[in-house]
Order: sequence, then C-alpha cells, then structure tokens
Amino acid sequence: MSKPNLQFTDNQFIDGLRNNNNEVLTALYKKYYNFVLKLIVNNSGNSEQAQDIYQETIIVVFENCKKPDFQLNCQLQTYIYSIAKRLWLKQLKKNGNSYFFREDEENEIEDVESDMSIYHQKETDLDKMQQSLTQLGEPCKTLINDFYINKKSMDEIAEKFGYTNADNAKNQKYKCLQRLKKYFFEKEENIED
Amino acid sequence: MRNTDVFDCYLNNELNETEKVAFETRLKNDHLFCDAFEHHKKLINTLQEYTNQTNLRATLKAIHEKEFGGHAQVISINAPIGFFKRYGKTMAVAASTAAIVMFCSIALFNQQKQQQEELTTLGKKVLALEYTNDAIVEEIVKTNTKLNYVPANYEGSAFALNNNGYIVTSYHTIKDADSILIENANTKRTLTTVVYQNPKLDIAVLHVNEILVAKDWQVPFCISDRTLDIGEKIYTLGYPRKDIVYGEGSISSLSGFNNDSKMYQVSIPVNPGNSGGPVLDEQGNLIGIVRGKNKQAEATGFALKTHELIEAVANCAKELQKEDLVISAKKSNLKGVKRTEQIKRITPYVFNVLVYKN
Repeated sequence: MSKPNLQFTDNQFIDGLRNNNNEVLTALYKKYYNFVLKLIVNNSGNSEQAQDIYQETIIVVFENCKKPDFQLNCQLQTYIYSIAKRLWLKQLKKNGNSYFFREDEENEIEDVESDMSIYHQKETDLDKMQQSLTQLGEPCKTLINDFYINKKSMDEIAEKFGYTNADNAKNQKYKCLQRLKKYFFEKEENIED
Repeated sequence: MRNTDVFDCYLNNELNETEKVAFETRLKNDHLFCDAFEHHKKLINTLQEYTNQTNLRATLKAIHEKEFGGHAQVISINAPIGFFKRYGKTMAVAASTAAIVMFCSIALFNQQKQQQEELTTLGKKVLALEYTNDAIVEEIVKTNTKLNYVPANYEGSAFALNNNGYIVTSYHTIKDADSILIENANTKRTLTTVVYQNPKLDIAVLHVNEILVAKDWQVPFCISDRTLDIGEKIYTLGYPRKDIVYGEGSISSLSGFNNDSKMYQVSIPVNPGNSGGPVLDEQGNLIGIVRGKNKQAEATGFALKTHELIEAVANCAKELQKEDLVISAKKSNLKGVKRTEQIKRITPYVFNVLVYKN
C-alpha cells in the first residue's frame, strides 16, 4: 500500500497481465474488487463468496489475456462485470438456492460465452490434474514438479532424492509419470462413459 | 530410449536435426506413436497450467490479504458504498427522533407502575445518531476497503457460562430481537440463538451458532453459589461502549430493588450497556449478574445473585435435555491472582451483545 495509486488504462492492464507484471495485477485487483463485491453482496452473497468469485474472475481475465488472439471489445470493467456475473449465477444455481438477480442498469453486459466455455473445459482438466497429483503422492509429486516445472536436471534430482545416479532418477521419473498418466486419463474415460 | 524420454527431449528441444526429422516422420506415419505423444503433451501442458493457476491463486490471495485484510465480513446486504449517502441525509432526522424517543420513553415509564419507574434497565439504545463521531470518521476512512456493520438497535453485556458455547446475558437486552450477535476483542461477530429466557429473573441463555467459536474456550472463573457479606469488594466488566470497561465497588445490601432477596444492591457505577455483565468477587468467582440501577439514586446498582442463575440453568437443562448446558463446578483458577491478571484472563469471556430488531 506504500506505493502511490498508479492509474493504468485498460490496454496497459492487459499488457501488464500478459507480461506477468505483479504491480499491474495488484493494481487491477484493487481497482475492481469493491465493484464485484457490490455485485455479489447485492445478490445474496457474502464477502467471502465475493472474494472467491472475484479471484476466479481475475483468473479468467488473466488466462484469456494470454491467448494470442485476445481482443477486448468493451471496457475492461464491463468485461469483468460480465464474467463475475456469469460465475456467480453458476454458483447460485449450483447451490440450488432460490435467488433473484438484481440487474444493475448502469452496467452493460458483454457476451463472454465463448471465453467462459473454454474456461470451464480447462477447469475440468485442472480438477482432474489436482486429483491425480493427490493420488500420486510423494515423492513422485515433487519429482515430477522438479523435472517438468522447475526444469531441474536428472543429476540435481538424483542428488536431491538420494538416487545413486541420473539414470536411476530417470527410471523413477518414468515410473511416476506413467502412474500420473494413468490416473489422469482414467478420469477422462470415466467422464466420457 | 523409452518413448516418454524421446517426447521430453523433443519438447525440450534436445534432439539434433536428424533425430528431430526422424521423430517427426514417425509421428506422421505411426498413429499409435502419435496418439501417445499427444497424450503426453496434454498431460505435461495440464500440469504446467495447473501449477501456474495454483501460483496465481496464491498471489491473488496474498494481494487480497495485504490490500483488504483477511477478515472483512458482511452481515447484511448493505454494501459499504453508499453508507454516507444512506445515513448522511437521515442523520439530522435521526437526531431529533432520538430526542423525541428518549423523552417519550421517559414519559411512558412514568405512567407505568411505580416499581418500574424506579428501575432503569441498563441496555443502551443505539440509534444511528449514537453511532459516535469517532466511529463515523473511522467508517469513512474504512469505507473504501472494509465493510461496515449496520449499527445495532440495542446493546448489552454477556459472559460465558461454560466451555460449550453457552452465554448468559440479561433478558431485557435480547427481548424482541430478530438477531443477536456477540463480539469481543478475541471473538469475531457471531450469531447466537436463545435457548432459555426468564423475564422474571431478567436472564437469558444464548448459544453460539457456530460452535467452532468456542472450541478453545477455557472459562477461568467459577460460578459461585456463595452469598456474600455486606462490604465485600466486587467488580464488573462490561460494554457500556465499544471497549470493555472495568468498574469496582462493594456489596451494599443483601437485598435488591424492592427488598428482593434474589438481588444484591451494589455500589458499582453501572451504565447503559452494562446489563448482563458479570459481577465478580475478589477471588474472581462469579457472584452476580448486572441487572439495573436505581434511577433516583446515584451509584446504586442491582445484581442478580448467582444462586438464581444456577437453579434456572439446572432446570432448563433438565427440561430441554441438554447435557452440555452445565455450569462447570470446578474451582476458579483466579484465586490469589492479581486483579489486573484476573481481568486479563476474564476479558475474552465477556462479550458485547448486539441486538437487531425490526
């Protein structure tokens, strides 16, 4: 909070998100939080739910920005409002509560249908990944992360996990990955059935 | 080389030109190989996206904690924006209404039986007006970041009865309430349900809705059945305002208002908002509950004797068949402890009661 409030334009926000600029992300988060909070609290939500929905909204915006063909066709505020609204309606439906959505006439709605469906598809995959990783357990989880995410070499991994040499570590990594693959795609088949 | 290893090498650009060409040719001609590669690619991509998103979530959470604090909560649908718009205009009206209400209630009181005339109950009427200056200024400062609570209609004090989330307060504080919340420095605002009320004795027993709130409770005082002697030193803790306030005095009489032997007369300066607060003796035993004060005499308060509370709670527990509604009989662990230390230990178990009425 020590930094002065920097004013960014919509395009600067988008560029900042694309470049993983943390300062921009923080400014964006601060700028629209109360706006989304109001939307949720006015529509039978509480502040905790607002926080969840808002963070989900930012994730959607963030990931859509990253797409090379992304273009903002309306104000960023309208875009955020539309996404937050969609997410919240979905949540309300899921909870099965009866609700009445108070439309705020000041806010236009942008069609975010396609952006949302891509997001939901991806969420399913990420859920499966989370479950598979939990199923996989340690030390496999860390080993896989070290190789594929942290890009550590097999020598480093061998040393960290106490394997006698890089080949041995490679064998372990192979076994772990085979298991992860099995868990992940098993879930896919189950869903398709 | 296993397929997986080749896939990784290809994706990491670790193959030389010839190997690369061979790999790509095989992808084109060997469907099974191609499928396996696609699966592998999807798995690794999803893993990477999963990690990215997990990191992003953590970042957002950290931003939220830093910028908006972790504990802001709303209890009503009123958004913080527009607080001033809402209340600012009505403030002047509220001020005059407050004055009228006060005079009216005094007038009404006077018309009622003489008994009632003399006994002022000590709840605070909290109108929008009495939302103190400081609080308003604070609200304005906080409006952008924190949520406001709608001011309560009526406030009083309460204390923990046992470690199971039961709380005692005075009946007149919670009378006709729509929702009753408790709060203090250690306990965030928590909704409670009335499990027992006795207008005659002016006591009520509440239970916290969210039992987790009471999970670490270790009520330090014991509720003593002993009848005190005149002149014994006593003290009370309560919420006549937002912060806890200490008051001390002694037992002035073994009977209370209208010679009621169920009460003590105490020389503690009690104020609106003290109602329902605990009265403790020098050893830190709970010996009474603040009831009210004599309107016509200064520094004459009344406190209900704990004997009555113990009996009432026992009857109620039997009737409702609530096994956890007990008064812990164990000895107080405050005996011989310095007064200031006693207060420190008791404070987490004395609550401000906020009552909302329609």
